[in-house]
This record gives sequence, C-alpha cells and structure tokens, in this order.
Amino acid sequence: MHLDPFELHRPRSVDELFRLSERLGPEGFDLLSGGTDLLPNYKMHLNVRPHLVALWDIAELQGHQEGRLGAMARLADLEADPDLRHAYPAVHEAASLVATPLVRASATVGGNLLVETRCFFFNQSLPWRESLGYCLKADGDRCHVVPQRERCYATFSGDLAPALAVVDAEVELAGPRGRRRTPVLNLYDTGGDGIRRHHLAPGEVVVAVHLPEATRGLASTYAKLRVRPSFDFPELGVAALLALHDGRIQRLRLAIGGLETHPRRFDELTDPLEGELWSAERAVTLAEEVRKAVRPVHNTFLPPDYRKRMTAVFVRRALTTLAERGAAASA
Amino acid sequence: MPHRPFSFRLNGRERSLEAPAERVLLDLLREDLGLVGTKRGCDLGTCGCCTVLLDGRPTLSCLTLAHEVAGRHVQTIEAVAPTTGLSRVQSAFVEHGATQCGFCTPGFVLTATALLRDHPHPTREQVVAAISGNLCRCTGYTKIIEAILAAAEGP
Repeated sequence: MHLDPFELHRPRSVDELFRLSERLGPEGFDLLSGGTDLLPNYKMHLNVRPHLVALWDIAELQGHQEGRLGAMARLADLEADPDLRHAYPAVHEAASLVATPLVRASATVGGNLLVETRCFFFNQSLPWRESLGYCLKADGDRCHVVPQRERCYATFSGDLAPALAVVDAEVELAGPRGRRRTPVLNLYDTGGDGIRRHHLAPGEVVVAVHLPEATRGLASTYAKLRVRPSFDFPELGVAALLALHDGRIQRLRLAIGGLETHPRRFDELTDPLEGELWSAERAVTLAEEVRKAVRPVHNTFLPPDYRKRMTAVFVRRALTTLAERGAAASA
Repeated sequence: MPHRPFSFRLNGRERSLEAPAERVLLDLLREDLGLVGTKRGCDLGTCGCCTVLLDGRPTLSCLTLAHEVAGRHVQTIEAVAPTTGLSRVQSAFVEHGATQCGFCTPGFVLTATALLRDHPHPTREQVVAAISGNLCRCTGYTKIIEAILAAAEGP
C-alpha cells in the first residue's frame, strides 16, 4: 500500500501554522500528529488532501506535565505516568486502552480527541468501497447504514474524550483570532453528523488539555468494549466519576463514546442526584436510563442492540466499582 | 513530488538520503536501503511486523514518514545481534522454538529487546502487555512469552 503524493510542511510555531493554513485553505490540508489513524486512512485513499502539515516541531504542543497534556503528548507517555494514574484514573485508563503499545508510542492526545469517525462502510479499501458504491463520508452521495437519511452516522471512536469529560477537563485552542479554553465536549458537533465532527474554526488547533484541580484524586474509571482486547477501536466506551461524602453523592459524571457520532455526557441524569444517598440500586437505575438514551446504529462490528445492552452493563459495573473504591478509601 | 534531503542515524551510522514526503520509513528501509529484515505485514499498524526502534522505542515503520526520523536514531533487526552470534533475545527465541514461519520474529525481537532494556525482570503480564501489538499466526504466543522470560533470566 502506497501513499499518494502530498507535500509535507513542518511549521515551528502556531503562528507559522496559521499562515500556512490560510495559504492552503481549509480543504487543502490535513494536520498530521502521530499519524496512526490519518496514514492508514490515506493508504485506503479516504479523503486524501494534497498537503500535510506536521505538528512535530511546534514546541508548545509537545509533552505533558502535571495538569497539562500537550496536544502532541504521546499516549505511551501518559500510560507510563504514575501521577496521572493516581490523579485522574479514567484518563490514564483510557490512554492505556487505545490500540496497542506500538500505536500508543506514536499516537497523541490531540489526535485521539480529533480521531476520524468510523463506519463499517467507510473504513474499507478503495476496491471494496468502489464495488458497493461510495458513501456520503468519502466520494459518494448516500449512506449505506441509514439509506433514507441524508446524513452520516459514522461513530466517534476516541477513548480519551469521555474520560476527559468526566474529570471536567478543558481544551485550549489556538487560532488566527486568538486563544480560548472550553470544556472538552464543546469541541464536538452534537448535531449527529459523522462528517462535520467538531467545532474548530478554520485554522484553529488544539494546543493542550487542562486537567482541573477540582477533580484531582477523585475516583474515576474508563471501560471499553471491543472484540479483541488489543488494537480495536471502542464499540462502546464508558467513563465515570463518583465522589461520595458520608454516603452521599458529592459529584457524579457519566460519559460515553463509541456509540454515536460524538461523545456525550449525561448531566441531565446525574446532576439531580448530587446530595442524594448512594445505593447499589442507583447504579442499576442510572445504567438503565443511559441505555434508553443512547442511539447506536449498525455501522461497527457489534450489533447496536448488543452495544446498547452492554451500555447498561458497563455503566452499572463502572459505578459499582467506583462506589466500592470510594467506600474502601473512606473506611 | 520532489525528493527532499534529510539525515538520520541508522543502526549507529549517520545517513544522508533523499525521499519524497509520502515515503514511509518501512519503504525507505526495505526498498531504498535493502534492509529487508523489517517486514511489511498489514501496512496499517495492526500487526507489528514492521517494528523498528525509534530513539529506542518500538515504533511502527509503516505509519512513520521517512522525514519524521530526521535527526533521530533508527535501529532495525539487522543491528540487534552482536558482531558474531545472536543477541540474548534472539538466542532465547531459537532455544525455545519461539519462531515458526519467522515473518513476525524481527518485530517481536525488537519489542522484547526494548522491554528487557526498560524492565530487566518483567512479569509474565508485563511481557504479554508489551507484545500485544505484535501478531503471530503460528506459535500461539506461549513459546514467545517463554523465550522473553528466559532471556530476562539470562544464561
């Protein structure tokens, strides 16, 4: 498999990057970070662009230190960080469960946040796609998953976003018009379009993720459903955070990925519970409510019905584990 | 696209080459430099057959652009063995029958070499986790795991 020719650019600062992106135009280039998702897609001739702008040489994007994960921080380095494991367990677990150690050596925080959405009819070779007829997301004008609708249902398949969402992380964005910080899930288009994906302005890039002091050390976890326990993208990813005080819910967050076109947090279900007494039944009820709220379609390996049922199982298990951990810690 | 010059260290030796932007490291090694010990398996990052050490870290050469290694150090399977004989990991693979068709072996040897450098006495679980990005369709992994654990024990 060979890559189609492209021109490679290596800006040394975000300002240089903005000048480049203005010159190349929004449809003219892709950003290249770790390349572990983009390059396979390019090899499959999926939405190839004539220019790649590599983020390797922009110093402020690299590495991570306490509370700040650079967009170019490698997932393997997050995995190897004992402080992150202790302070933000869900984030550490999510980073450690991405693909394989070889992929994590190159894959980055920003790359995982903005990973291309996936679909059984999209992530295929050119001859495969050609034989069936191209789809909305690449080269075609119809959806093979939900043919009567004119939108793309490709599934958001990053692991970090739900985990970062439950610890209230913020992303720092830089664009030609300045910098801004916003809660991580604000990055994503929630209109249910698997093509549009995110709300980045033209030329805007993720610089870093900031982990707040308020959730440091709180019990959190991330669980991932997939067929092979290595390599596979999530068929479902569940992140949860639970802080109990005297048996009452002090803070509770639930987020999912791998089911719909964007990651989601369920504040409408969890916020009303703050201050309430925790009980095992709460986990069962909440799990059932989340199951009813999610709408997977048949575009990944496992059938949507199964992924829905497993949503309830994973949410219940995650909350039960966290409640036990919290009880053990305060005992 | 035009070929652009770049330099990097390959198996301890400085190299100055030219390559187009879209050349991946795997093709540079196999096709331009004739280092065919690095294997092309899936070419999509799934199988680990193309593993090389990039600044010491096991890395997928099929998903690494050649220009990305400019100024860095690449080690391939060709440089693992001492001048004569085999490395400890290679010897353990031979002694434990950890190689059958042999296609995945270079990747496993490099992954195991990096593991034992960082964790000289790994647990079985650490070995299993470390090799989880390398696929072997022959051995069923048991002998590979035994070989790596034996290499850690030393002769």
